[in-house]
Amino acid sequence: MHVIVATDGSKQSLAAAKHLKSFADPDKITDVSVVAVIRPLASVAFADDVSDNKGAWPTGSFRDAAESAVASIAAVFDGWGPKVHKRIRSGSAANEIIKAAKQYDAGLVVVAAGGRGLSDSVLVGSTAQRVQHYAPCPVLVVRPAPRKGRKA
Amino acid sequence: MADSTVTSTNRIDEDDDSGLKRSITGVQLFFYTLGDVLGSGIYVLIGLVAAAVGGAFWIAFAAGVTVAAITGSAYAELVTKYPQAAGSSLYVQKAFNNKALTFLVTVSFLSASFAATGSLAAGFASYFSELLDGGPPALLVSLVFVAALVLINYIGITESVVMNMLMTFVELSGLIIVMIIGVWYVAEGNADFGVLTDISVSGNPALAVLAGVALSFFAMTGFENTANVAEETIDPYKAFPRSLVGGMIVAGIVYVLVSMAAALTVPTDQLAGSDVALLEVVKQGILPFSTDLMTTIFTVIALVAITNTTLVTLVTQPRILYGMAREDVVPGVFAKIHPTRRSPWVGLLFSGLVVGGLLVTGTLVTQAGGSLDIVERLALVTVVFLLAIYALVIVTCLKLRGQDEDERAFRANTPLLIVGLIGNLAILYYAIYDDPTSLYWCAGLLAVGVVLYAAEKLFGSKGTAATAPPLEK
Repeated sequence: MHVIVATDGSKQSLAAAKHLKSFADPDKITDVSVVAVIRPLASVAFADDVSDNKGAWPTGSFRDAAESAVASIAAVFDGWGPKVHKRIRSGSAANEIIKAAKQYDAGLVVVAAGGRGLSDSVLVGSTAQRVQHYAPCPVLVVRPAPRKGRKA
Repeated sequence: MADSTVTSTNRIDEDDDSGLKRSITGVQLFFYTLGDVLGSGIYVLIGLVAAAVGGAFWIAFAAGVTVAAITGSAYAELVTKYPQAAGSSLYVQKAFNNKALTFLVTVSFLSASFAATGSLAAGFASYFSELLDGGPPALLVSLVFVAALVLINYIGITESVVMNMLMTFVELSGLIIVMIIGVWYVAEGNADFGVLTDISVSGNPALAVLAGVALSFFAMTGFENTANVAEETIDPYKAFPRSLVGGMIVAGIVYVLVSMAAALTVPTDQLAGSDVALLEVVKQGILPFSTDLMTTIFTVIALVAITNTTLVTLVTQPRILYGMAREDVVPGVFAKIHPTRRSPWVGLLFSGLVVGGLLVTGTLVTQAGGSLDIVERLALVTVVFLLAIYALVIVTCLKLRGQDEDERAFRANTPLLIVGLIGNLAILYYAIYDDPTSLYWCAGLLAVGVVLYAAEKLFGSKGTAATAPPLEK
């Protein structure tokens, strides 16, 4: 089975990748594709919050940011078993994830979803929602654990 | 399935067509350029330009767009050499490697973008008042407009390439309506072509044209924002020269035809006195349709056009702030990305507040008895900043010759670049000479950047930029 792990560079997407690894059987998975989608017309086309090279961003390249985020997520699956592919796409996040799922004939898509903030409950159109509705295969939506104490 | 060979590659897969997928096609880039350029100015400023030059104001548009197209060719050369989103700041850093200069250019670019948004928002309010007679005050309309666009940007609706193209088509259709009216009028045999050579302003006609160019130049700006999508463009070596220079040439032809149509159909003094000059053309009732209906349609088109361009400027500001925060030159809070929306919400909010501040200041000055046209003033401030940047970008382009050359990169015509450099500087000189008070506004905007820099140096710590709060563990 080919599993797609989507990342938007958020910590939550790293948590989603770890969550998949925590329960899935690596013998049943042949390939893992870590997919990042750059949004060309967005203010910040891609922001990488999961890598360690904080601050360093000399070129101002969003592609570099996406590459480092994909590498960080892919590192989660190092030595786990399945073949790991790193892929960067460009366009609308939900569309590209769905297209990737079709193209690679994926058996599962893993996405991170929303916080519990006002904007997520009031505003429509989150990527995870759209992927759930239109993906050609099962979707694992990893939501954040309930918040304790300190505000994030 | 039992195959457990670990093949975690360190490079990004390029073995299939999707490993490094880019999404912006040459055609999309062309319309992005065109949409950016056409929305800024012609709907808003044509009356002011007519006032400065007289019936022959199309010459000002032709001259301005020529200088801008040459500058566009310098951008095309640089963007194919350095296809990153940072645009002019990146080029200046590459050429001069001087942090202070790079900072100044970046802050100037940011300031230009703030002023442009303000001018567009005020222009939006002018057209909006045509739609709703006796509606809410202009300041309120423009503030709500900016707030709505900030919200739209935060949600991420602006990211649709299809939407962008649709809005550009709407934008073009408005100008085509004006051209059709012009052709119709000529075909009816009513046109007096004498008006097209009439420079009615007293004094030196060359200076009158230069004044018109300075004013109309706002309509030529916007193409520099295409660097935003440089990284995501398919085959940038071909796409950028074609879209940037081609887009400017098309915009130039449209501008010249539209200004001729306006000059022929509406008396120059009526154009000059109007906040919504292009609407005057439609209101002449030359076409055999209901003038009321046409007026409404055209007003809506103008509003869409202005919105399209304003959206791009509002996308650019938080992006610049984000880049600067990552470089530790402004407080790290501007690098804050909303954890799920992935938008730089602090930068967006800040941009909205600065633009709102400009609009409120403009209104207060007017109320205090100062004679001030907020659209004109902010357009001029934008032009002063951008002309200085354009001139510097041309110098940068020439200085970086022989460095990082790539045979695929586009090479702009050198003699033309020198003409463009002189053109930019001449318009800049005149713009400042004609209205030195715009420098106060420039200084005020630059001060915002300096304050942010000081805040980072005083209170910020290095590397705060990218420290996101831990989500778990």
